[in-house]
Amino acid sequence: MNLSDKVSIPTQVMARTVGDETVILDLASGTYFGLDPVGARIWALMGEGAMLAEICATMLEEYDVQRDQLETDVLRLAEELCAKGLIRL
Amino acid sequence: MTVRYTEQPERPLAPVGEAAFHQWVFPDGTLWTQFFRQGAGYLLRFPELADFEVSADGCTVQGFPAPGVPSPTVEHLYLNQVMPLALSRQGKLVLHGSAVDIGGQGVAFLGESGRGKSTLAASFATEGTRFLTDDGLLLEWVDDRCMILPSHPSIRLWEDSQDALVSERTAMAPAVSFTSKSRFLAGPGIAFCDEARPLRRLFFLGECEVETPAIEPLRPAEALIELVKHSFLLDIEARDMLARHFDDLSRLAALPIYYRLDYPRSYAALPAVREAVIRHVLEQKESIEHELV
Repeated sequence: MNLSDKVSIPTQVMARTVGDETVILDLASGTYFGLDPVGARIWALMGEGAMLAEICATMLEEYDVQRDQLETDVLRLAEELCAKGLIRL
Repeated sequence: MTVRYTEQPERPLAPVGEAAFHQWVFPDGTLWTQFFRQGAGYLLRFPELADFEVSADGCTVQGFPAPGVPSPTVEHLYLNQVMPLALSRQGKLVLHGSAVDIGGQGVAFLGESGRGKSTLAASFATEGTRFLTDDGLLLEWVDDRCMILPSHPSIRLWEDSQDALVSERTAMAPAVSFTSKSRFLAGPGIAFCDEARPLRRLFFLGECEVETPAIEPLRPAEALIELVKHSFLLDIEARDMLARHFDDLSRLAALPIYYRLDYPRSYAALPAVREAVIRHVLEQKESIEHELV
């Protein structure tokens, strides 16, 4: 996976926020994943169909974070969610 | 309960044309339940035991015993497995859990099969703390309060739990043929609460080996994931209903009532478990009520 990829969220995958965490769930398969507020913001941007590089650009505006670190984190999260079937390329 | 149930004459479990859209399989690989679509409704098959036809709206169920399977077995399957699924199709929230009434407060225990939900409920009920359900925990929101509704006034127990908990005088329902669990009717020896109670505490039964009962709070997100794992859902492909179901569970998960309960797996430890639960519920009653207002 790389920063020029766009991902989408399968229709059966849903997210709900409880407390300060977000739970992503594929109710059909029972797969789930918990996100902190920053992860939840990345997830929301993924749902808008942005390229991973665009997601990073938006996050750089919103958060005080180093670009290298952010790109690594976004890619790692995308790969993890993809492996669980919670997003797809 | 708002499911109309009728048992029909027995019939062979004929092959179904389409593949099952969902199934429940025991950890040892044994097929327990197959879910088929039948017109707009559903056919639930318990291999070698019975078929159940459920209407599309979940309001009507017909049971068809397989040849030679006694009626109590089919009724038992209906009460414990099919009715909760039918209620879920009506949009009701049903969880795999038992519940008791401690000082007017509904206290529920959720866990995988075999984790001791029924045994705990029976342990309370035989000591005079009334139980609301031994499985199939039916919840309903009433004026911003989540209520536990009482279910069938009976408890199912494995043989070793029966020996440890139930006196010989307690009335037993007819035996069922697919399990060594027996169903005990509520009565003088097993106290039953037949009125709804507000849900004030929900314990997930943990898997830790501990020497004394231990109670730890759960974060809302952890609670939500556990609630999802422990809920009945008939049609896992109906997206609108899935979304509503997830909304309902998220609303439930936001309540400040979730704990993990670990305790020693021995009957001798049950009095200490009851005491720990009762103390925990009563000690925090005021603070919980304050948060729930």
